Amino acid sequence: MLLQIFQDALFAAIAAIGFAAISTPPRNAYGWCAVIAAIGHSLRFVLMNAQTQLHIIPATLGSAFAIGTLAVFLSPRARIPAETCLFPALLPMIPGTYAYKAFGGLALCLLSEGQDAFGRNFYLFAHNALMCSCLLLCMVLGATLPIFLFQKISFRATR
Amino acid sequence: MKTTTSDSARPSAGELSLFLSQYSARLLGAGATCIRLEKNAARIAKAYGKEAEISIMPRHVHLSVWAPGSTDTAASIAAIGHTAISFRINTKLSELSWEIADGKVDFATAAKRFDRIVRDDRRDPRTVLFLVALANASFCRLFGGDFIAMTTVCLATAAGYHLKLLLLGRGVDIRLTVLVCAFASAVLGATDTLFSIGETPSVASGTSVLYLVPGIPFLNSFSDLLYRHYLCAFSRFVDALVLTCSLSIGLCAGMLLMNIRMF
Repeated sequence: MLLQIFQDALFAAIAAIGFAAISTPPRNAYGWCAVIAAIGHSLRFVLMNAQTQLHIIPATLGSAFAIGTLAVFLSPRARIPAETCLFPALLPMIPGTYAYKAFGGLALCLLSEGQDAFGRNFYLFAHNALMCSCLLLCMVLGATLPIFLFQKISFRATR
Repeated sequence: MKTTTSDSARPSAGELSLFLSQYSARLLGAGATCIRLEKNAARIAKAYGKEAEISIMPRHVHLSVWAPGSTDTAASIAAIGHTAISFRINTKLSELSWEIADGKVDFATAAKRFDRIVRDDRRDPRTVLFLVALANASFCRLFGGDFIAMTTVCLATAAGYHLKLLLLGRGVDIRLTVLVCAFASAVLGATDTLFSIGETPSVASGTSVLYLVPGIPFLNSFSDLLYRHYLCAFSRFVDALVLTCSLSIGLCAGMLLMNIRMF
């Protein structure tokens, strides 16, 4: 289990650095993004796989809150806005597969013939779209709540 | 040390309004959230003894600046540029707002600094390409992919991202670019299935296009929603949704061509 947690943290950190690079963060932000993403993603892994066996939605909410809190308290050290290390750290949790599967389901819906096939494809579309929206909402809610709670710290990080 | 801005160094409402509208448009274009923009703009206006109200529309920023207790008022509108998201610009412009607020720079210097920050948005495409390919391969691993699937995804991502840079460099529309890149990456990502190599070919196919998911616009839109910037939130959400739709069309076309099922 420990090795799996370590692997999850390591690959989440690499993913965060790579996806952060697309949005050109300042050089000193990469390290923070990696650390925060590793902690957040591995926390979600633990919540979903340990004895708790949490569903992906509450697990995502909890780890997003952890990511947000870490970003708010670490960003003044790096002198970068909290979002600069917060958003890239959240990227490995973006429900990308749910998003494109929702569109795939919609396309199959339009092409399907018969009520049964349409019903099944509509289920795939609705399930994936709902999961994608709920996960995104939970991620942002969890991650921005610390910014909202600790406004004095989060909006003064670049001072 | 905190100093106060002398009256002679203070810009008029018109000058400040023009500066703030450009500042706001660039900050939003760089991917800042609406709440950060409001805070930064209010901070700068306050430093010069003025107040500012911002109306953020999907493609424009409308600013009103006035000096309390006087008739010195001005309004201006600036178009939000369709530029790539840049957290470096976001950070530098936030720093600039604090330097103005703390009286470390005068208005003329701040305007010059602003020009320099927005001009100097250097990117190293090769390093980014390498990091993105590595990131997507790691993503594949997080979804349970084996080493072969990771290698396939890494190569499919590198090829797709290179194509993206080429097409965007030639001025091709971003939606068409995402569609074409998703198609290319999906076809290359299907290599494992085509040649029956590795234990997790379906993970390689599914994750080969994930580098194209507009994650930051999705996060920004939901963040704006929480702060009740509904119009901006909706506009950013639709932008992200359109890109996801383009991605899905490219992916579906690639999977159809390679005879792979999504579900």
